[in-house]
Amino acid sequence: MITVEHLHKTFVTRTGGLLRGTRRTVEAVRDVSFSVARGEVVGYLGPNGAGKSTTIKVLTGLLVPTSGRVDVGGLVPWRDRRRHVARLGAVFGQRTTLWWDLPVRDSLDLLRDVYRVPRERFRQNLAAFTELLDLGPFLGTPARSLSLGQRMRADLAAALLHDPELLFLDEPTVGLDVVAKERIRAFVQHINAERGVTVLLTTHDLTDTERLARRVLIIDHGRLLYDGGLPDLQARFGGARELVVEFESAPTDPAIDGLQLIGAEGPRVTYAFDGAAARPIALVTAHAPVRDIEVREPDVEATIRRIYEDGLLRTDGS
Amino acid sequence: MADLVGGARHHLRLYRRLIGAQIRSQLVYRFAFVLDAAAAALITGTEFVAFALVLPRFGGFNGWSLGEVALLYGMAELAFVLMDLVFGGFDAPTISTHVRTGSFDTFLLRPVPLPLQIFGSDFALRRVTRVALAASILAYGVAGAGVDWTAGAVLLLAASVLGMIAFFGGLFVVGGTLTFWTVDSVEAMNVLTYGGRTLISFPMDIYGTWLRRTFTYLIPAAFLSYFPVLHVLGRPLPDGLPRWAAFLPLVIGPLLLAAAFAFWRVGVRRYHGAGS
Amino acid sequence: MTTGAKTLGGGINAALYLHGARLAFRRQFAYPAATFWGLTTNLFFGALRVAVILALFGARPQVAGFTAQGAITYTGLTQAFLSAFAMFGWYDLMRTIHRGEVATELLRPHSFLGFWMAQDAGRAAAQFLLRGCTILALYALIWGLQRPASPGLLAVSMLFAWACGFAFRFWVNCAAFWSADAVGIGRFAWAWMGLACGFLMPLAFFPPWLQRVLACTPFPSMMNTMVEVWLGVRTGAGAVQGIAVQAAWTVALLALARLTLARGLRRLEVAGG
Repeated sequence: MITVEHLHKTFVTRTGGLLRGTRRTVEAVRDVSFSVARGEVVGYLGPNGAGKSTTIKVLTGLLVPTSGRVDVGGLVPWRDRRRHVARLGAVFGQRTTLWWDLPVRDSLDLLRDVYRVPRERFRQNLAAFTELLDLGPFLGTPARSLSLGQRMRADLAAALLHDPELLFLDEPTVGLDVVAKERIRAFVQHINAERGVTVLLTTHDLTDTERLARRVLIIDHGRLLYDGGLPDLQARFGGARELVVEFESAPTDPAIDGLQLIGAEGPRVTYAFDGAAARPIALVTAHAPVRDIEVREPDVEATIRRIYEDGLLRTDGS
Repeated sequence: MADLVGGARHHLRLYRRLIGAQIRSQLVYRFAFVLDAAAAALITGTEFVAFALVLPRFGGFNGWSLGEVALLYGMAELAFVLMDLVFGGFDAPTISTHVRTGSFDTFLLRPVPLPLQIFGSDFALRRVTRVALAASILAYGVAGAGVDWTAGAVLLLAASVLGMIAFFGGLFVVGGTLTFWTVDSVEAMNVLTYGGRTLISFPMDIYGTWLRRTFTYLIPAAFLSYFPVLHVLGRPLPDGLPRWAAFLPLVIGPLLLAAAFAFWRVGVRRYHGAGS
Repeated sequence: MTTGAKTLGGGINAALYLHGARLAFRRQFAYPAATFWGLTTNLFFGALRVAVILALFGARPQVAGFTAQGAITYTGLTQAFLSAFAMFGWYDLMRTIHRGEVATELLRPHSFLGFWMAQDAGRAAAQFLLRGCTILALYALIWGLQRPASPGLLAVSMLFAWACGFAFRFWVNCAAFWSADAVGIGRFAWAWMGLACGFLMPLAFFPPWLQRVLACTPFPSMMNTMVEVWLGVRTGAGAVQGIAVQAAWTVALLALARLTLARGLRRLEVAGG
């Protein structure tokens, strides 16, 4: 569905006015290559300023790259703009694609004309989305009066009305409460499973990624650092599992051979370990009387944070 | 061929719907809208009425009667407000707002020609009252200027109005395009567009020589209404220009508009290349 | 509030208002490019209006107490004070109300109206220096500018012209408490203000019946009186009388603004905005 080969995008920014300004060259995207098969749900992660939105803009046809080859469903995005965008839908967390002052229903109807959706198909889709996303209560409300959650749901419906093959989601759950987030995720899952829509999801919310995407792309400083499954990422770079032990009384020497001591606060001591938990538990109980033990799985967020902060994946030493 | 016609019809319908959406959202607050429309008419009317009320105390205006001035004023105002209704979306502040808020990207993500969406993005219904008022001033001028209205004269003036719409539309498009590079251009273009409109509302012989020459040869505004009106009034053109120069508005206007759209395409390409 | 805050009379925190004025003053200098082009626009329109005035006067030495030079000075004055007196509209309060930021201001222990007035004073002063004086200087260079007949009286008249205009602008902006689209109402009000305050033509050029009608409104006090004092069309007792009228209208409009503000705030609380 999507093929990206050796994508480069460099921006030249000028600061300080037309005459005396200084030029700055920013390499937003450096030699990024990946491909996405039809029907996949791919998460796109990276710290702010990493090059995510630049990549998305190239894929949607908004931006022309400095070099590289991009193919989306047989089309070059920026060359065949109208044919390309007719086959995709996009939802942005930060702004709406609906008309601000029009009731949602009217916006959707206007989009029907924009995308030339056959009337019957539009009716079917609208009915289906109204039910799935519970749009009924606010179909008659203008976009400017919607709550964030309502707006996101309306935007999702708007993006899928014309049966696109490809869906770009840019921070779709930002600012939403837990229930609303779940709703959005369930809908995206449904769309992908039932209609085979390929989804590219940009997000900072790792639960989004865990729930929806079996594959993630991680980009930082313009380079693609990782392309693979999320469990794999954990296995390779995830933090260790932890054993949080509450001893009967504070041990005189909490250190245990074979286990890594993370921290000790009175009777509560934390150790890190690899592999199965059986042997570490045995070691701990042998060390001192134990009141309670908890096994903690490594946190995806912590893993990702370490990747961003420590540059774990950067192989070129930058 | 059938596909071309179908496409054109689709675009026209879409344009109508986009304008319709604008109108509906503007009519939501009826009271404020009515006042707004009244204000627009007031501003247009009072500037001319102030001049008309004051003129009797002075007796003359460089040899021009009120009716003759009304011709020029009415034409300029009518053309400008019609232009604003059509080209409003290309105005510099509107374009820069679209770019800044990201709605420009939203336009690009729709399988519809970009210019069509821009044309349909800013239709200020309240300006309709200005059209009526400008038409009345023009009507007054037509009646009071003492002109023998042959079909040729009427056609010439109609062509002038169309030429002016194209001309000022082109200026709007240029101003909007410039915002792709710098936002500072907004104010700069105002001088040309709004200033230009006021300039040609009065007979250009009241302006100093170099101002008149600038707006004849550098920025060909004088060709738009001043020369045609001079021709219709049977007066000679300044600087010894030939009589056929009065027939140029329908050439000058569209030429500038075409050049402006070429420039617009450059601007959009730049937007694609450099992001936002 | 701040320690060592100066207080006047009934405990008015002068330092705070001065601070507000100063901040508003400084803010005007933040957009040099826009100011430059704004000045260019001003000058261009000034040139057009000078041409119209000269064409009107023709060979006449005087009309309604104005000489041609005086009329040219008049156009310079209107262009110069255009920004300071916000003749093309002022929507700041409206925006604050619509954005729901009024509550934040009400949590501060100062007069709402007073603080806004102080800020507008700062803004007007900055615009007067930035645009006003520049336009006047350019006019003096290009077309010649008539010197003010009595500078002392002029200063007082200028002050009241600004204050009267501010009170009116504030009052109009209060419409935002009742309407979510008060911008249209604003445009309507500015249209009348522009027409009636003598911005288009000196009111003295209008037929006498119109002048009598306009004299019953506060608008001439916002610009025309000041112009006439400057040009010496009003001198001595006539000038003092004009200024007294300005003062009276200023007080009346401020009282009206205060009343409307109180009503508006009550409505805001009731509506839960």
